[in-house]
Amino acid sequence: MTVALPEQRFPGRVLPVTLPAAPGGIPVTVGGQNALPYAPEGDRPNPPAVGMEVRSGAEELPPSLEAAIGSLSGDPVALARRCISGWGARFLFLSLDGCHPDSGGKSVADGAALVREILGAVPAPVIVGGCGDEDVDARLFPAVAEAAPRPVFLSYAEEKNYRLMAGAALAYGHGLVSWSPIDINMAKQINLLLADLGFPPERVVMDPLTGGLGYGLEYTCSIVERIRLAGLSGDAMLARPVLCHLGDAWKAREASDASEGSWGDVDRRGRRWEEATGLACLAAGADLLVCRHPGSVARLSGAAWR
Amino acid sequence: MALTALDIYKLLPKTNCKDCGFPTCLAFAMQMAAGKATVDLCPHASEEAKETLGAAAAPPLPKVTIGTGGSEVVLGDETVLFRHEKTFYHPTAFAVSVADDLSPAAFADRLRAIRSLSFERVGQRISVDLVALRCVSGDPAGYARAAASALTATGLPLVLLAPAAPLATAAEAVGGSRPLLAPPHSDLEAAAKIAAERKLPLRVRARGIEGLSAALRSARAAGAKELVADPAAESLADAVADAIHIRRLAILARNRDLAYPAAFDLGDPFPDPFGAAALLIPRYGSLLVLDTADPAEILPLLTLRQNVFTDPQRPIQVEPGVYPIGNVTASSPVLITTNFSLTYFTVRGDVEASRVPAYLLIADVDGMSVLTAWAAGKFTGESIAKMLSGCGIEEKVGHRTLILPGMVARLSGRIEELSSWRVLVGPQESSALPPYLRRLPPAAFDPANA
Repeated sequence: MTVALPEQRFPGRVLPVTLPAAPGGIPVTVGGQNALPYAPEGDRPNPPAVGMEVRSGAEELPPSLEAAIGSLSGDPVALARRCISGWGARFLFLSLDGCHPDSGGKSVADGAALVREILGAVPAPVIVGGCGDEDVDARLFPAVAEAAPRPVFLSYAEEKNYRLMAGAALAYGHGLVSWSPIDINMAKQINLLLADLGFPPERVVMDPLTGGLGYGLEYTCSIVERIRLAGLSGDAMLARPVLCHLGDAWKAREASDASEGSWGDVDRRGRRWEEATGLACLAAGADLLVCRHPGSVARLSGAAWR
Repeated sequence: MALTALDIYKLLPKTNCKDCGFPTCLAFAMQMAAGKATVDLCPHASEEAKETLGAAAAPPLPKVTIGTGGSEVVLGDETVLFRHEKTFYHPTAFAVSVADDLSPAAFADRLRAIRSLSFERVGQRISVDLVALRCVSGDPAGYARAAASALTATGLPLVLLAPAAPLATAAEAVGGSRPLLAPPHSDLEAAAKIAAERKLPLRVRARGIEGLSAALRSARAAGAKELVADPAAESLADAVADAIHIRRLAILARNRDLAYPAAFDLGDPFPDPFGAAALLIPRYGSLLVLDTADPAEILPLLTLRQNVFTDPQRPIQVEPGVYPIGNVTASSPVLITTNFSLTYFTVRGDVEASRVPAYLLIADVDGMSVLTAWAAGKFTGESIAKMLSGCGIEEKVGHRTLILPGMVARLSGRIEELSSWRVLVGPQESSALPPYLRRLPPAAFDPANA
């Protein structure tokens, strides 16, 4: 007797988006699927891609990251090279946090120069993140957009700054990460606003804000699931690839506190904290994952849906 | 598929006799559709109506309990595929394995290690739920002794991973504790008979959905009633796909033959047990057996389970009170926010990032965010003033200056009226706290009476 297996078929399809690479590099294409992650039916031409974050600012690293990338901190270009050629990251997320007044306060020109340098050093796709200070970012992104010698994605556009971001990206052919704070309506709204400006939808990926494991991750999982269900059911504004940045996983005390003996080895625990955060995002439907530990690249790529 | 009120109404006598306690048959049907009444309230319902409506009311995924009393573990009894549709009710149960052929000292050490896999997080205790006893010795008497001592040492319910002969002796020894019988496929029928006889839950393990369909049928034929389905997946991808199939068969197809909680043995030689466990928590794994007792592996998984099985309509609340952050002194700033866990985590993270030691007051507003609590009248000048005088902060700091979330700046006047505190309006967004805290004039926090 054959068991009839129920399927969940959908009328919609996630829009494919390509993060471009330099000649000699491999572009990353995500999206294009008409089915849920890990589901047996439908087609998913592009499995999720795992990238790594490179930060420009100085910081105190949690023990797991100190052990893995500590020797390269302070040298973002060397770290970027290693992420791509040594650890198998398929793209980079370059955070220009060093331009924040509170973490170094490097100039906008320094930030733009670093973007140029990294883009020259690695052929892989790059997403450039701001420093989080509204005023600095408003000057930083136009400078980055102009300085970048090849197309990148800029992270991120939100309701407050989308005109500026879309303008900078459009002028130089870059893509955008559209950001919303764990809210499906705002996620749709920012994509609508970008569409109203005539921004090409095949150059937008969505970042619904990823809470770390134990610190709001469940909200992210449910929002990503709802975005994907709505998109596949026909809402074009939500039928977009989803990016989950796992950086918040490292803010958890459990990921970095060596003093709690009953919690086990802090190095392994930190790594597992980031991996579990990423695995839950994959189960929910994430297409792009940004991690910080080299071990996460292999683990998350190996466990990703195909 | 769930029946609509109209579907149900068509099956009722339509006499409006009120014997069910509702004014009309349609009203009764609407209550049944909402899950608030069952067909047995109607003394005149036809056999056909009882059968159809009774089946529709039963949970699509049956409930299976392992263990007894306070350490009882409930599997299954879920109603949705995605937690936002309602909630997931019964958290993925974790069993950590121990082999029955360890030396007595190693056996005791291992059980102690399993027992200590229990942690306190946001006011809840999260722990490994069961001990999985693997029969390596092949010795029925020794296995039964090991089962009895595992039960005594941990108090946790057991998963008995053993062939039929040791299962029989162990069921004799610890059957009263309601262990889960988990035989290899070859011993299914013999084990099913033990399960039927002793009314114990049984794990049925067979490869894939087709294999399970046949194996579950033979277990039922042997009289076993409470079943758990293990598709014997050999890879992470198979495990997740099988789990999705089984849950969909229950929820979408209402397939009674395969609707059972799904179990997975992720012990050796399963590749990437951690990855599979993390995916099976949100994707329908009801029981996972792991070989690792390393807290660095288990704590992240238990935390993920706590996240995924939080009711979306009832967010985790933080215990209200005074939270010192960093090396606080009598002149540290005092901030207030609400006890919605996300609000607390966000504000706490931003205060920590500022590296300014501070006291964070967490107000009891039934787990709402600042704006929601204000709109609901739970975060008011009155409630804040009451908290300031009653929570003990006045003994901890010398000053009387409160930093209020910028979103509720309008409460400042009322707080100053009703308390001895002065209000500084903080930033609208928590993310602006680090620079804000660093730029505060220290004089604002000098002792009030200096």
